[in-house]
Amino acid sequence: MSKLKQLFRTFFLVDLLEGLWVTFRNQHPKHIYTEQYPSERPQVAERYRGAPRLNNNPENNETLCISCNLCAIACPENLIVVGWERNPETKRKDLIQFTYDVSRCMFCGLCEDACPVDALELTQDFELASYTREGQVWDRQMLEEGPYPVKYKS
Amino acid sequence: MSTAETFLDSSELVLNMGPQHPSTHGVLRVILKLDGEKVIGTECVIGYLHRGVEKIGENRTYVMFAPYVDRMDYISAVSNGLGYCLAVEQLGGYVAPPRAQTVRVILTELNRIASHLLWLGTHALDVGAITPLFYTMREREEVLKIFENYCGARLTTHAFRIGGLQYELYDGFEDQVRVFCERMLTKLDEYEELLTGNRIWVNRLTGVGIINAADCKRYGVTGPLMRAAGVAADLRKLQPYSGYEQYDFDIPTRVNGDSFDRYVIRMEEIRQSVRILRQAVERIPTGPVMAKVAKVLKPAIGEAYVSVEAPKGELGYFIVSDGSLHPYRMRVRPPSFLNLQALTEMCKGALVADVVAIIGTLDIVLGEVDR
Amino acid sequence: MPEEPKPAGPPTQMASTLWEGDLPTTVKAAFGERLLESACYVNQNFFVVQADAVIPLIEFLKREVDFDFLVDLTAVDYPKRAERFELVYILYSYSRNERIRVKTSIADGVVPATATTVHTTANWLEREVFDMFGIRFAGHPEMKRILLPEEWVGHPLRKEYGITQMDNNWVKENLGIESGQ
Ligand code: SF4
Ligand code: SF4
Repeated sequence: MSKLKQLFRTFFLVDLLEGLWVTFRNQHPKHIYTEQYPSERPQVAERYRGAPRLNNNPENNETLCISCNLCAIACPENLIVVGWERNPETKRKDLIQFTYDVSRCMFCGLCEDACPVDALELTQDFELASYTREGQVWDRQMLEEGPYPVKYKS
Repeated sequence: MSTAETFLDSSELVLNMGPQHPSTHGVLRVILKLDGEKVIGTECVIGYLHRGVEKIGENRTYVMFAPYVDRMDYISAVSNGLGYCLAVEQLGGYVAPPRAQTVRVILTELNRIASHLLWLGTHALDVGAITPLFYTMREREEVLKIFENYCGARLTTHAFRIGGLQYELYDGFEDQVRVFCERMLTKLDEYEELLTGNRIWVNRLTGVGIINAADCKRYGVTGPLMRAAGVAADLRKLQPYSGYEQYDFDIPTRVNGDSFDRYVIRMEEIRQSVRILRQAVERIPTGPVMAKVAKVLKPAIGEAYVSVEAPKGELGYFIVSDGSLHPYRMRVRPPSFLNLQALTEMCKGALVADVVAIIGTLDIVLGEVDR
Repeated sequence: MPEEPKPAGPPTQMASTLWEGDLPTTVKAAFGERLLESACYVNQNFFVVQADAVIPLIEFLKREVDFDFLVDLTAVDYPKRAERFELVYILYSYSRNERIRVKTSIADGVVPATATTVHTTANWLEREVFDMFGIRFAGHPEMKRILLPEEWVGHPLRKEYGITQMDNNWVKENLGIESGQ
């Protein structure tokens, strides 16, 4: 770049104007990316790993979980506790309780991968805040029903 | 000596920068010894974010440890995961199938772009240009969306598994990457329009924080810093892994080794990453995504050091196996840690305000420095 | 009844092979007995040397063979061995595009020489080794903890240091109860 041109650019603040032109172009409404959360909730991906859910069989509403404990073994943080009792009639394990400590979970998906019957699933719910630490330890009922996010009016 | 005398005589001032300083990108504390505005000595105090990742590694099985490595350099979690998976695969004698390798390359390059974009935005913010942050975040969002669609998480992805991939590609993955590549190049020109000619940007960065090639080697500095100093050191070329030898790309280098050169290098690296992405996305082979890996992963007794070119530099894993389920020793060689060590050298004679620019162009992530 | 051949159990040692080539020969010539082993495992070459030969060897490699980059320096703890700690130096040469490891064993309490005289990189790495394993390096400019606070008790990466030990102690001291971890 010649000296003269450089001087011209410096004097007339060309670099500033170039930059301003970029910002000006980006002001067009079609470039608006801001999401209006929480009145508009974003649609997260299908594979999103969010709040855990314990699935029920849609036909008879019985739990799909076979109490195999594989998820608890697979979890690096050791936060799943599966409680079961052997049913004397069917000789199968009946699920008694299932706790899941969401506060320690890192949503890695290893438990979901380990589950042989797709009973445990990480869903698209992502609003997991609660006011207490105890509220983060989810029991079986909570896992089956899912969290209740507050609905805000827009 | 009266107090007034000492006050006037002493030309040195010790200034404490951080740990909660916005421009240290996390919890880094730098103690500066100043002579007026000039820095005559620096000392880094680190460890505020130490979580004992190496100890955790010794207490988890190989499979279980994989999500933890994402949490070291959380800006480029995919590169971390790739390094870890490659290290365990080397140790256990597994090779990921070609399809998995190509997908790994695509995701890692996307992550490199995301990491450089975040760097660009925050660094520009440090130096006084606020606008680029919004734009780079917007483009980074596209990458994170691809990650989210692919594996269900945006930041700490846990995208790879030992021996390949857990998830198949989703429909429209290729198109999304193609669109992103297209868009990225035009946006990159836009950033350059904003910054490269901008006199404040140029004056703040040129000649600041110079480190030459010899010093890079002396201090163990790798990554864009070393390339800015003129050494074409990139493990993707030097010791290709995961099929990088199939792609056609260049290693950008500069000569001065100052902050401005590092900026130019990173911008050029984004372009090269787009180049790799465009080649890779056209030739994703078909086939399985997972190699046959034992359910109970117990590598034979031995040790291996495997490193990858993370966005910040050479990221290495040194794993010692004693033949059991758990790694016997899990050592991570973090690039940021060693790059940060050179800060003292780079800050010699700089002004206080330049220290911010230097820390910025180091591109450190404290999660990785402290582990 | 003929005895069935027992299936070979997993090896109890690293199944490394001998590393042959110019470099081991050169090093052998220069270091003789002090070079204990030059081996290769999963295509990665390493030297095992006596503890007092490490720094001379690294310097030799840097000067004569152009291994000018110290990639990493770390330690491994084997509490059952007499020489408890294994120090690992990973070196890289840009001109040869080659990576090697140098290993040595030292007993607990031994103060090995610092590598900062050869590679400045070793400064923080040795501090980290001290922090995590409690190995002091002689001649290091600033031998203090780096990642953990000064008042930390113990060295976490030693094998006898339990992973929840710190938590439990903290809970006991500050809350006066047993930690349930
Ligand atoms: S997502 Fe990961 S951390 Fe959370 S419960 Fe499942 S396995 Fe454990
Ligand atoms: S792995 Fe699945 S089936 Fe087994 S206990 Fe866990 S949720 Fe139930």
